[in-house]
Amino acid sequence: MKHKKRIAPSTIIIYVILSLWALTTIYPIIWVIQNSFKAKNEILADSFSLPLGDLFTLANYKTAFERLNIFSAYRNSILISGTVAIVVILFAGFASFALVRYNFRGKKLLQSLVIAGMMFPVFSTIIPVFRMLNSWHMVNTESLWMSLLSVALPQIAGNMSFAIVILTGYIRSLPIELEESAYLEGCSAYQTFFKIVVPLTKPSFATVGIFSFLWSYNDLFTQMFLLRLPEHRAITRLLNELTSQEGTNYGLMAAAVALVVIPVIFVYICLQKQIIKGMTAGAVKG
Amino acid sequence: MKKRIMALLMAGVMVCSMAACGQKAGNEGDSKDGAPKKADSISVTTTFAGEDGNAKNYKDACKAFTEKTGIAIKDSSATSDKTFKSRVATDFETGSEPDVLFFFTGADASSFIEQDKVVPLDEIREKYPDYAGNMDDGKLPGNLVNDKNYVVPVNGYWEGLFCNKAVLDKAGVAVPGADYTWDQFLQDCEKIKKAGYTPIAASLGEIPHYWWEYSIFNNTTLATHTQIPASVTEGNGPAWVQGMEDIKALYEAGYFPKNTVSAKDSETFAMFTEDKAAFLIDGSWKVGGIIAACQSDPEDAATLDQKKLDKFTVTYVPAKADSDRKATDLIGGISSGYYITRKAWDDDAKREAAVEFVKFMTTDEMVGKFAQHSATALKEAPKVENVASLQTIAIEMTSKTTSFTDAAQDVFNGDCRVSTFDGMANIVTGKVSAKDAVAEGLKAYAEQQK
Amino acid sequence: MGANVYKNKKPVFFFLIPAFLFMAVFLYYPFIKNIINSFQVIPGLGSPSKGFNDPWYANYQRMLTDEAMHTALKNTLIMMLVTIFGQVGIALVLALLVDNISKGAQFFRTVYFFPIVISATALGLMFNLIFLYDKGMVNQLLEMMGKTTLTDWKDPAHALVIMMLPVMWQYVGFYFVILITGLNNISQELYEVAAIDGASKIQRIIYITLPLLRNVICTCVVLAVTGALKVFDFPWVMFPKGMPLGQTWLTGTYMYYQVFNTRNIGYSSAIAVLIVILGILTSKIVNAVFKEVDY
Repeated sequence: MKHKKRIAPSTIIIYVILSLWALTTIYPIIWVIQNSFKAKNEILADSFSLPLGDLFTLANYKTAFERLNIFSAYRNSILISGTVAIVVILFAGFASFALVRYNFRGKKLLQSLVIAGMMFPVFSTIIPVFRMLNSWHMVNTESLWMSLLSVALPQIAGNMSFAIVILTGYIRSLPIELEESAYLEGCSAYQTFFKIVVPLTKPSFATVGIFSFLWSYNDLFTQMFLLRLPEHRAITRLLNELTSQEGTNYGLMAAAVALVVIPVIFVYICLQKQIIKGMTAGAVKG
Repeated sequence: MKKRIMALLMAGVMVCSMAACGQKAGNEGDSKDGAPKKADSISVTTTFAGEDGNAKNYKDACKAFTEKTGIAIKDSSATSDKTFKSRVATDFETGSEPDVLFFFTGADASSFIEQDKVVPLDEIREKYPDYAGNMDDGKLPGNLVNDKNYVVPVNGYWEGLFCNKAVLDKAGVAVPGADYTWDQFLQDCEKIKKAGYTPIAASLGEIPHYWWEYSIFNNTTLATHTQIPASVTEGNGPAWVQGMEDIKALYEAGYFPKNTVSAKDSETFAMFTEDKAAFLIDGSWKVGGIIAACQSDPEDAATLDQKKLDKFTVTYVPAKADSDRKATDLIGGISSGYYITRKAWDDDAKREAAVEFVKFMTTDEMVGKFAQHSATALKEAPKVENVASLQTIAIEMTSKTTSFTDAAQDVFNGDCRVSTFDGMANIVTGKVSAKDAVAEGLKAYAEQQK
Repeated sequence: MGANVYKNKKPVFFFLIPAFLFMAVFLYYPFIKNIINSFQVIPGLGSPSKGFNDPWYANYQRMLTDEAMHTALKNTLIMMLVTIFGQVGIALVLALLVDNISKGAQFFRTVYFFPIVISATALGLMFNLIFLYDKGMVNQLLEMMGKTTLTDWKDPAHALVIMMLPVMWQYVGFYFVILITGLNNISQELYEVAAIDGASKIQRIIYITLPLLRNVICTCVVLAVTGALKVFDFPWVMFPKGMPLGQTWLTGTYMYYQVFNTRNIGYSSAIAVLIVILGILTSKIVNAVFKEVDY
């Protein structure tokens, strides 16, 4: 970093530009939150004033909790995305380890299959997946557990390629000496994996886990196909339903958006160092 | 820090999954204990949701049913739009249809009736002779596949012209009556537009359905309205094209909202309730929507703003001078009801529960509550009690209606609708000619019929 | 030496099977099945196929005459340009700027990333409120500045821009963070040497930074282009069914529409195949372009 005492005009311009972009990412969120405390007609009349005094109302939140299954949607989202993140970490970890450390016939083929997997967007697999899950009676079932699993399964597969690419990049950069000494001490391959490789790969696992979680959590498309019953809906699906069900109840919409955004932003701010560091480590190496 | 994230994630998922497992095990236990006689829950899908005026009635009725019988309702009702209809069709295809379905009897139902996935009334009555005993069989809606009856109807529907009197007053326009003509309507629209208001609240981009139906109806005859023409030159073909041209003329005259091709129906409906637009053609279900818009809490009738509600009235849809149809001839009838699916019928436990549910939902009293201002198939007309003012007006209007005709779009269904429904914006903006759009739809319809 | 440790090949299967089983069942098999479906007549999501089309490529033939499909393709290509120049371009500028400041870099990094962690569905609802005709944030702001008429941001004249703007905006932070890391990996000594040689700031960027960042930028562009093919949530929430006038279709949203609104499964499978082909082609092109710059 450069060290300068006096502030050059160019530096001021830089700060202004950077702050303007920051404004576009912060202000809309603040705007939605402040309007979630106002009645609908107040939002339409003047959305910029702060919800103070007479303007302030909790009615939108009251309606949101009464009428929308926000909590069960949260539970469903966390169940789906948590499962996706954990299974992806575990299985992609296994596969990456084997792909990096072992030499076997067909390795090249598997590697290109992994890369190819990144090229299949969900659009190109969802219809057969739906028909297959349906033949297993996992779609449109009354069982919450099955419904959630039906969303998680294709998402796990969809995130696997990306995860393997990142993890192989990371594992390859690990020094092999530690594993060699473990081998000499008589560790089996499984022990070596869990005792040596996993602890060293943790930052990369965190990246993969966080991103699998985020992508699964935000993936509206799969949820639109596979979740039917209202009580099975995850948070993104619930929000999407809101436009058709509540039409012009803008106050309620603002409240629902706020309810979804605030916890995510909160968790993000707590974990942001981890998220950004992990992401860049993965992306640049991968 | 890293450890903590992982631990948090893991712990969260484990707790949640354990909770879910526990739940599941519990349910299984219940079903084992329960007598095989009657199911402890049935799945029901209806259109009583969202802004439908009966959404609250339905919720209350379900609650009452569960309290009375101990049978839980697994409800997956939704606003009846294209997505909903497609979902119902997919449910039948995938064998995950509900036990009881409140749905339409038109072309939407043809596929599952053909595949015998719902049970006809005759068959139900063999086992339960008093099923739908309070209904006048002559009034039960038929279907497009065979001459059996499948549904127990609750309420009929009508489509009428809702007016915002506050806007009409300000524009110096009288509330239209039974002899309303198209020319008068056009003059009124001009006056309203000059006064700075939007004459017609409609979102041609999203829900052109009501205008589609009436504009065609104004050019066909009462007797032939539901016949789908073979081409744009045969039968009702020219009438269909003229109907589209009529809508286009209204659009070009600037009588629809400025953003009618991009707005959602909920937005244009809000223009109507917020005194920005004067007219709205919509169905009987919208009475409930308007009343809800006049309540500060849409779910709580006690919060009704009577003054606001008094601004609204409903009347007949203007008819063209040379049209066979008079203003008092409305689109309407009985076109939906409760189906019991074959899946539920073949399951002894579910059958009992499903029949009980439909019976509960179609008693004279219940039908009266749901139907209010619309037609019923009951042998004895229900008494209507404690209704809001707009409902009284609606009852008054329907009592003087000279005829109800089925909607042509109930027959004209599926892919064929794309060019004139989703494509309505293309027609009015001149991107596609009315004739081409109608021709494309008719072609798709002909292919569907093969 | 390394090979010795892992001479015993038995564990390989244990390690590989779970991941590849998942991908085989939920990725490769459906993908191939989808290609087969795209040549068939399938009348509903749950109904069995009615057999192959006649001619077998009829679903693909239909694309040639389907105007909505043309719009969807055109919009998707525009979306790619927007993601390349809008997302990666803006991100690059912001990253170069942040590289020049000493205080607050961490702050900008944090807030630029905000939109990525929030679901596009929530953001879509938010932008619906912002661009509301009567009257959301933007129209209120314009009114305060003295404009007397309302602008319909979702009308045919503005729809495309208003659909793409949020998509572009959301992912700038993502590429920004990747690029910033790339920048931090460039050694300061290079800059110092260049500064001694009298190179201006702009020259340093052109001759040192950009060439050294080439690989990272290439990664970003590939991600952006393939990302453009996956856009679904924003347009679906803000402009359902291609409204207005079918102008805002993207390949993804149009495919969904064909599944659920017109229930033409064969045709939507064909669209999905096209999306994959587009993805492969464009990333090949991007890679080729960046290789040429090499020499």
